[in-house]
Amino acid sequence: MDPSPSAATFPRPDRTRALFPGLLSLCWLIAFVGSWHLAQVEPGLLFQAESRRNMAKFIAGMFPPELSGDFFRLLVGPALETIQISVMGTVLAIAIGLPLGLLGTASLTITGVLNEFELAGAPARRAARIVPYACARGLPSTFRCIPEFVWAFMFVRAVGLGPFPGVLAIGVAYGGMLGKVYSEILENQGMRGSEALQATGATRWKVLCYGLIPQALPQLVSYTLYRWECAVRASAILGFVGAGGLGQQIELSMRMFNFHEVVTLVLLLFLLVATVDFLSGTLRKAIA
Amino acid sequence: MYRLDHLSKVFDGGVVAVNDVSLKIGTGERVAVIGPSGAGKTTLFRILNLTVRQTGGRLWIKDQEVTHLWGSPLRRMRRIIGTVYQQHNLVPRLRVVHNVLAGRLGDWSLWRALRSLIAPRREDARAAHQALSQVGIPEKLWARTDELSGGQQQRVAIARVLVQRPEVILADEPVSSVDPTLAQGIVNLLVELSGTFHTTLVMNLHSVDLALAYFPRVIGFRDGQVAFDRPSVEVTDDLLNALYAGGSGAVQDTTDTLNGSLSVRSYVPPPRSH
Repeated sequence: MDPSPSAATFPRPDRTRALFPGLLSLCWLIAFVGSWHLAQVEPGLLFQAESRRNMAKFIAGMFPPELSGDFFRLLVGPALETIQISVMGTVLAIAIGLPLGLLGTASLTITGVLNEFELAGAPARRAARIVPYACARGLPSTFRCIPEFVWAFMFVRAVGLGPFPGVLAIGVAYGGMLGKVYSEILENQGMRGSEALQATGATRWKVLCYGLIPQALPQLVSYTLYRWECAVRASAILGFVGAGGLGQQIELSMRMFNFHEVVTLVLLLFLLVATVDFLSGTLRKAIA
Repeated sequence: MYRLDHLSKVFDGGVVAVNDVSLKIGTGERVAVIGPSGAGKTTLFRILNLTVRQTGGRLWIKDQEVTHLWGSPLRRMRRIIGTVYQQHNLVPRLRVVHNVLAGRLGDWSLWRALRSLIAPRREDARAAHQALSQVGIPEKLWARTDELSGGQQQRVAIARVLVQRPEVILADEPVSSVDPTLAQGIVNLLVELSGTFHTTLVMNLHSVDLALAYFPRVIGFRDGQVAFDRPSVEVTDDLLNALYAGGSGAVQDTTDTLNGSLSVRSYVPPPRSH
């Protein structure tokens, strides 16, 4: 007896698709077990007599925290410096990331409705566009592959101690991240509005200013603010290699074993980051 | 205005959207293009407004060959072509005034365009207001575009074309997303405007009734080709039945084939009274 035609054509789930998550889980498990050994994970070490003694000394040293007015007056400068580094670093990151992001937006420079007419059957023109596009995609990857800590280390060598190398480090590392994310945000915008703008005879810049950017603005601003949050945290770390701010104070107090100062500094940093988080969170909600 | 000489468009996947089309459209002429979904009408319009380049044949606009235009000559040519889209194609987050004034982008310098985005000049705002009055929603001048209804947005798109002052208006299914009364109003408006400003008008329409009522010339488009091209008084039921009968073979893409067969099933030839 023949099966009915509808039964014969009934679609079956794809078995190979179900196989994939299974294989992935297995790989993950192997990676976990391997890493346990190779990374020398020994939880027991934390509870050995010597470790306990060191930790007790560290914690006991934290109390009472340094809360004198003199100490706080000393911290106003570095705290402000941390904020300044993060703001200037973010501004520099935008200055680096925006042009790279625009050049790296394929829908603006090489593909899609904005380029279809001009690049169809014009391989030379297409090649002339692909080169800057590839550079604008490659450069940010290099920038962000190197952690801001390493950038700061290099800039301290280049321009000396102080907040400026911190600004440069954040600017370059985050400029790379902003560039990549800006182009991704812009590429994900619907092109209907832009198509209509182009059809009125508008140049690419005008299409960008009237179409793509207004449309993507909430996402662009929101991600930039998020990066600023990260920059505040990062600028604290950067002080450890001599790039100014609260981090430099933390490093100094650590080195002098003044743990009661360290705890105040860390609390201050926590307060700072929490405030910035709250501020940018509120702003982002207002824009969305 | 337009001269198409053996015009074809084959997409990268091998789909033939426009297949060897030759025709002329005179200056000031009003032409309706009708035909089943998936016939390639929208692709034809995107070739005519210089968004997509044809893969075969040649195209003249105002006696100038446009096939290999690029850069500023291309933009100058686009500037004289106004397009009304099926899905209005506005920028939703901008205020209505900016979407309307976007019709001026072809004339403005980038600097002027940016300044207008911050605060439009008084005379520009007045021009936008006047265009919106013509489409019946002057009070929406400063509203945000995404707060408007679909029909209102389509009218903003028409106001944009009004401000652009093009020499030819291409309207690609401008009324398929609005209710029938408004549809007639919009078609009527575009026809009147083209009469007032001596603008050439080419409109792609789902509604055969509207095409026959408002346009002296009707082109039947099917499988990427011109099935017939006649004065509307000579369009017979037989021609229409042949135009919409059977599946559309032009576009092999499954979704489009589905759309094609659906429109055939739901199509009822309009009653003709002579």
